[in-house]
Amino acid sequence: MRTAIVDWARDLYEDLDFTAARRWLADHPGGRAGGYLPVYVPREILHACGFLPVGIHGGGDRLEIIRGDAFYQSYICHLPRSVIELAQSGRLDMLSAVLFPSTCDVIRNLSGMWKLLYPDVYVRYIDVPQVPDPAAAVDFYESELRQLVTDLAAVSGLMPDDDALRRSIALYNGKRRAIRALYAARQARPWDLPTEELYLLLRAGEVVPAEEFVTQVERYLAAIEADPGRPRDNSRVVVTGAFCEQPPLGLIKSIERAGCYVVDDDFVLGARFLTGAVSLDGSPLRALARAFVETETRTSVLYEGDLQRKRDLMHERAAAAGAEGVIFATPSFCDPALLDQPMLRKGAEAAGLPCIAFKYSENTGQFQQFREQAGTFADSLKLWSGGPA
Amino acid sequence: MTTISAGIDVGSGAVKVTVMDTDGADDHRMLAKVSERIRRREVMKVVDEAYQSALDQSGVELIHYIATTGEAGEVPFATGHFYGMTTHARGALYLAPESRAVLDVGALHTRALAIDAHGRVTDYKMTSQCASGSGQFLENIARYLGVSHEEIGSLSQAATQPEKVSSICAVLAETDVINMVSRGITTADILRGVHDSMAERFARLLRSLEFDGPVFVSGGLASDAGMLAALRDALERKASQDGRSREVVTHADAIFAGAIGAALWGGFRYRKLGQGGVAWQARAAVA
Repeated sequence: MRTAIVDWARDLYEDLDFTAARRWLADHPGGRAGGYLPVYVPREILHACGFLPVGIHGGGDRLEIIRGDAFYQSYICHLPRSVIELAQSGRLDMLSAVLFPSTCDVIRNLSGMWKLLYPDVYVRYIDVPQVPDPAAAVDFYESELRQLVTDLAAVSGLMPDDDALRRSIALYNGKRRAIRALYAARQARPWDLPTEELYLLLRAGEVVPAEEFVTQVERYLAAIEADPGRPRDNSRVVVTGAFCEQPPLGLIKSIERAGCYVVDDDFVLGARFLTGAVSLDGSPLRALARAFVETETRTSVLYEGDLQRKRDLMHERAAAAGAEGVIFATPSFCDPALLDQPMLRKGAEAAGLPCIAFKYSENTGQFQQFREQAGTFADSLKLWSGGPA
Repeated sequence: MTTISAGIDVGSGAVKVTVMDTDGADDHRMLAKVSERIRRREVMKVVDEAYQSALDQSGVELIHYIATTGEAGEVPFATGHFYGMTTHARGALYLAPESRAVLDVGALHTRALAIDAHGRVTDYKMTSQCASGSGQFLENIARYLGVSHEEIGSLSQAATQPEKVSSICAVLAETDVINMVSRGITTADILRGVHDSMAERFARLLRSLEFDGPVFVSGGLASDAGMLAALRDALERKASQDGRSREVVTHADAIFAGAIGAALWGGFRYRKLGQGGVAWQARAAVA
């Protein structure tokens, strides 16, 4: 059963034509598909307004970029070029709406391009609160969400009431719970749950209905429970920096095969951005806004005013995961990740955590240098360092 | 208390297995060593056969730690995996404690490592994707010339007028060799030319590293006397340019350097973890 689930996830991950979303649209007359870019958008809102939320994570290493390069200079990361390529080749023509979160200037500019290229598609740049005053932040974000509901409802013709919003929130609470269960299982028994498989499941969850994803995760967890593996003497590491442009699968496999257990990461971070259950009491939009403002996820796309808190972040994450070292795996030209990295690394090393850093792009095809770095890093953790943080 | 560990080194051309008795000090003993050519067989079958042969040869009843290295990351019964550079460095120190650099000439690539007295890799350089720095390239040339692996070294050393071969590209080098054959150049002179070409690349790799001590040659080509002679000459030529002489050493067991290093680091790791337990135990011992 486990193999079948992983194959299901791999097929979805490799499908650049979004066949699952197209099939869902065919099976749901009147339904709409709404795309979103990394890192975080409130998927519940799309769902409540009658959309299938569809994560757009670029073309990875499986898409030749022909038109996308015409839109971006060479010093811009790879993700927006492959997203443009997907769109210009007609692979995203089933989307009635596309949401662009406030990840960075590049994603913001991409939203503008989308408006010009696809005037018939609803396009929204999602502004999120970055102020330290939680009350003002919740008020602002709630009003943004309310506007988003109104706009999406105008596209789909389905205006959700509070109960419908609560049902969607409950559904996505369940999805986040399932992802947390995957992460907890991998942290406890990384030999049973390789990150390659976890990552494929996460990516599959970006293009199928939340209910289907939750069912598959439950079956997968039951399957690994029934067939426990054998622990190996690997080094436990945190991989960080990959919250937006996703690494090629080969890079994740290279890190694992080099002798590392990845026990924490920020892959497909938006799917688990809200760290706790969103309250089902009171106004659902206010609850969603409050959950965002109060979220414990700390990442480079959210403003952090307390520098010491930022310096402490990697040590805290490593300690929570029982990790011995940190691998900064960052997309080339990713401003948020690369601007934060020196401070994060300095803080980690000051706390005695060994670190390495390398850059990738989603279409990187040669992994020898990553294997070398990760392999020698894993060895140095095992042979020369003191132990878990 | 001693620790029994096994090292399994899966290379592109052969699987090497050692069983070591390690005691945490410097008195490590090699109890078994097995090398098995892969020859287009399924790698995991070769690993199983070689490992079983090594167990039989060693006579041990338990193994505390089974360490893999090279391309052996998928061996299901392994306790842990170490990267090739780490294990060759440790294996070199075991076989030649005075060495401070390692030249690992494998079937598909060559690595030069600078190491310290504890076996820690302090710097390294690799041949890039070009295959002309690899043992497989030499084997191909020998096959074209109708020469067995064992004959290469002695023939090369008998050369009187070595012919220069391209040191940049395996494809060009192979074309050079075909031309030489048609021009009637002797096999010995061709082989020495090939050795010189490879040695020139290796010397460049080693020259780019900072180290103070002999260079240990490991991997399959360590037993090729012609290759070693060519390397010594190449390093001597470099020494006349930069004034730094580099001694070349090797050992009859140099092909096992990776497997030895894996076993030794495995033993070290077993003691460091202090968790007890065994990775393998003979049925009779269990009973």
